[in-house]
Order: sequence, then C-alpha cells, then structure tokens
Amino acid sequence: MEKDRNSFIFRLLSTLFVILAINFFLPRMMPGDPFSTTSADEVGEEIIVMTEEQRLYYLNYYGLDRPLYEQFLVYMKNLMTGDLGRSIYYKMPVSDVIMLHLPWTVLIVVGATVISTISGVILGTLSAKNRKKGSDRIMMTGLIAFAEIPSFLLGLILLLVFSVYLRLFPLAGAVTPFADYNGPAEQAWDILYHAFLPIVTLSLSQLTGVYLLTRNTLITVTTKDYIRTARAKGLGEKTVWIRHALRNALLPVVTRTGFMIGIMMGGVVLVESVFSYPGIGMTLRSAVVGRDYPLIQGILLVIAVSILVCNLLVDKIYGKLDPRVGI
Amino acid sequence: MIKDIATSGNAGILSFIQALNINRINQIISSIARKFSKFSTIAKPFSRFSIEGKIGIFGVICIILMAVFAPMITIYPPQKITGDSLEPPGPGHILGTDELGMDIWSQICYGARMSLTIGLAVAFAAGFGGGALGILAGYMGGHIDQGLMRVIDVTMALPSFPLLIVISAFLGPSIFNVIFVLVLFSWAKPARIARSQTLSLKKNNYIIAARNYGAKPFYLLWRHIFPEVMPVLLVLVIGISSHAIIAEAGLAFLGLGDPTSKSWGMMLNHATGFRSIYFTPYWQWWLLPPLFMLIFLLLCLAFISRDMERILDPKLKIKKGF
Repeated sequence: MEKDRNSFIFRLLSTLFVILAINFFLPRMMPGDPFSTTSADEVGEEIIVMTEEQRLYYLNYYGLDRPLYEQFLVYMKNLMTGDLGRSIYYKMPVSDVIMLHLPWTVLIVVGATVISTISGVILGTLSAKNRKKGSDRIMMTGLIAFAEIPSFLLGLILLLVFSVYLRLFPLAGAVTPFADYNGPAEQAWDILYHAFLPIVTLSLSQLTGVYLLTRNTLITVTTKDYIRTARAKGLGEKTVWIRHALRNALLPVVTRTGFMIGIMMGGVVLVESVFSYPGIGMTLRSAVVGRDYPLIQGILLVIAVSILVCNLLVDKIYGKLDPRVGI
Repeated sequence: MIKDIATSGNAGILSFIQALNINRINQIISSIARKFSKFSTIAKPFSRFSIEGKIGIFGVICIILMAVFAPMITIYPPQKITGDSLEPPGPGHILGTDELGMDIWSQICYGARMSLTIGLAVAFAAGFGGGALGILAGYMGGHIDQGLMRVIDVTMALPSFPLLIVISAFLGPSIFNVIFVLVLFSWAKPARIARSQTLSLKKNNYIIAARNYGAKPFYLLWRHIFPEVMPVLLVLVIGISSHAIIAEAGLAFLGLGDPTSKSWGMMLNHATGFRSIYFTPYWQWWLLPPLFMLIFLLLCLAFISRDMERILDPKLKIKKGF
C-alpha cells in the first residue's frame, strides 16, 4: 500500500515535471528568437529592426544567452514565486490575466461537475432499480449514443437549437454587456442565464460516465450478502437502496468525479470557444491565434496543475471515505 | 491461376486438387490458407455484429467511398470560387456555397479525405506502434519494461487536449504535425494493454514449449503473441481513430488545423468565425453539413467499436489487466 502511494505521488510529480519541461523547451526549440522579428503583424505597425548590438543586449537582458540549465533554474525560481511572465497581447502579468478569466471557467466546470454527478447518480439508481425493464434499455442506449458526441459538437447543436433557432438563451458572453443590476440577485440570475448552456453541454458530455458507473456498481452491490441481510431485517426498500446499496456504490463515483474534472478542463477550451464564454479556454484560443506565448504557457500550466491537484484531492478524499484503503 | 482457385475458397475445387495430390500445389494452397486464417479473426465476427454495428460499418463504408470518389461525385473543385458568395442550396450548388463562393458539397466530400486520413494514420501508427512497444516490453521484462511503464503512466496522466493545442500552436499548423502530435498522445493505451496481454500469454505452456524447441524470440512474438494480441489492438485502433478525428476537428475548429486543407473542422472554424453568422440563415447550409457529417462518422465508429468489444468481451475482460 505504501509503495502504491509513493508511485502515485511520483507519477504526479513526474507528470508535472514533463509539463514544465515542455513549457520551457518548446518555445526555445523554435527557430529564431523574440528579437529578430522582421515583419509587422498589422498594417501600419512600425517595424523595428534591431542592430546586432541591440539584439545581443536584449538577449542578455532577458537571460537568453545563458546556458539552458541556468535558464531553466531561473524559470523554476520565477514559477515558485508566482511569476509567469508578461502577456504580450494584454500588456500585463500573465497571472493577472489568468486570474481575470479563471473564475468563469471554475464556475462552469464546478457547475457541470455537480449537475452531472447528481443527475448521473439519480438516473443510474433509477436504471438499476428497473433493470431488465424497457425504461432501463431505452435510457442506456440513449445515453451511450449521447456520450459518443464530443462536447464541442454537442455545444454547437445546443447553441443552434436554443440560442439561434428558439432564441431562448444568449449567443455569447458571460454577462449582459453594460447591464445595470438592481441588486445582487439579478446579477446572479444574469450570470446563471449566460452560464446555463455551457454548463449543460459539459454536464451532458460527462453524464453517461457517471450514469453507467452508478448503474453497474449498484447492480454488483445489490447481489452482496449485506443487502440480503438488510432486507431480512425487515428494512424498507427505500432504506435498503439509499442507506445500504447507494452508499457503497458511490465510492467509485468519487474517483470518477476527479477524472471528470480533468477531462472537462481539456474539453472546456472548445466548449468556451463555441459559446464565446470568457474563461481561460477562450483566452487560450485567442492567445494561440495571437501567438501570445507566455500566456499560452501560463494557461497550460494552470490547467495541468488544477488537474493534478484534483487527482491528489480525490486520492485523499477516497482514503477518508473508504477506511479499507487507509493512509 | 492457383491463387484464384484458392481465394475463391471453393471446397470442391480444393478437394479435387488435393485429390490430385500434387505436393507443390498443396503446399502453396496451405500457405495461402494459413495467411487467410490470420484474417479470419477479423472476418468471422462480421456475422455476429448487431444491427447497429452493421449500420455503423455501412456508414463508414459510405464515407470512405465518398472520400475515394470525391472527384467523381462533385462538379466543382473544393478550393475554387465557383459561384456567388453564400448561395443557398439550389440546382447549381447542391448544398450552397460559403462566403468565398466555394461549393459546400465538394468541401464535404474532400473534407472526408482529411478526417479519414488523419484518423487512420494516427490509429495505425499509435495502435500498432504502441502495441509493438508494449509486446516487446512485456516479453523482455526487466528494466526496459519498468522504464516503459513509467513513461506510459506519465503520458496517460498528461492533459492531452490542452497540450495538443500548445504543441501544435508552437510547431505550426500542418497535417504532418497534427498526426505526429496525436500519435504522441495516443500510443500509451495500446502499449499498456498489449504489454499486460503479453505478460499473461508468456506464461502459457504452448509458448514455453515452443521456446524449449528452440523458437527464436522474433518467431515467438510474430507467430504466437502478435496474432493473440491483434484482435484487442484492432478494437483500440477504432477507438483511437475516432479520438484522432475528434481532436483534429477540435484543433481545426480552434484555427490550428492546416490552413491549406479543407477538413470538416476547418469548415466549422470558418463558419463560426464568420461575423454574425447566427443572425443570418447562412448557418443552415454552411454550419450544419460538416457538423452532421462529423457526428455521423463518430457515431458509426462508436457503434462498430462497441460491437467489436462485445464480440471480443471474454478476452478483453480477462486480459485487460484492470
């Protein structure tokens, strides 16, 4: 058990290291350097051609002429102190840009996690209870087919149906622009109204996983001896299902939730682009289009770290929930 | 001539030739039959596919035909301006035109080539490359195996899509780069499964017996282990190809696809990038066709892989190793 935990921590750390290394080496492997730009990006922009002397000065100023390992150490030191560099497009520190957009992403990812977990567990329980009946078959086939559609295509369909065709929901953004709110309740309503479709999209894409997991674990759990004992004691069906079966079946769901956040952090980039939702995914897209390398690296780091932290948290919570795992 | 007879598989002719007892012909036929029996592991389950699986196979074949015969079933080339801007579907252009006046139907047909090429290339490179690595590691064991397992663990824990975006942003958009990066992120799963299968196969008596008779490692891997692992790899290959198609469409949708190509993802990117597309009826013929085609292809692939998994289930469950 101790060895398992060590290898788990080792895996997290080595994953983090690989991401940091990719983040560090990828831009430095590209040909050229930031100071040998010879063409303007936009018409009318002044082209600054540096003399060789100036170029060397800047290379020295940014530490790009030092050996790679030294640069890597400086990079790590900066990361530890929370310095992610400056965004070229926004002209402010990368960490500030991320902080500005991260709350929106957290809102829809957390919202989708909660909704898909709760509805997945409820549907899975219903399905397991009505096993071998028609409703179970229909629910299974329908949800499995749903799961095969990637989240951004699902998002496009929802957008076309509900925002474009029915005009029920907004097309883009996280708040109504230039809105005057009469109190926090109205503001919260506006935010929820805008976040609704992205959250539904993300939840639908994750729902099937939770549903299948709950259904299958419940079906295994209900064949166990302690369920028969509970029934033999004369407990009601409701108590047996909720207190005895579901409580035990929920354990794998907890692990699944952690993985889910990881998958969603990947998919959120596309979903946010579909809904023009101003989270870090959308920022990543605009950073990629604008070749804002420090921002791209910063966002990748934030996404990666949040996924790893989720995995770690799930591991800790699981240990608390299931004493058999033990720490 | 002999080949023709053998491939026709006519039992009567076969028995007639065998009755002639010409040694050479017999040898040739049996060698061809042996080659065929390798493929029968793929061909046999077809009759066991469910209705959904058959629909899936039919759909994928339709899309493949569409891609192969694209020049014949389209009137206009996909990258040329052949009509007015944003023409609605009509007799001239079956599905209308986009904002530059290019025919959407031919873009769809030629786009199928892109999606299928990337799906197949990534799936075969990652599936069989990763599978080969896994088999080798599982067979050799020791430090090589341990090292590979560590690499696999890390690769599987990496957040693949954000990294895909960043790497393709830095490497620059081209088909080759997209394929390369996708292979880099999808070889780990087939490698792990091939490894665990090899580990359990290695202990079988017939393999130990073959080795004791002096079989070389390459012979063992090729003749005994690879045919056993292949069906499982084949299921994985379908899964990987649908992942690759999704990833390519996603990257292209973000504007990271090959700008010179017309893939379905690029069409989505152009359409959603068009200012105020949602306030005009244009999305009905510009955005819907690629969206529909992508979902159709992915559902077909999913049906096939689900069916294959079901058919191979007893094997998968025991040897998957989790």
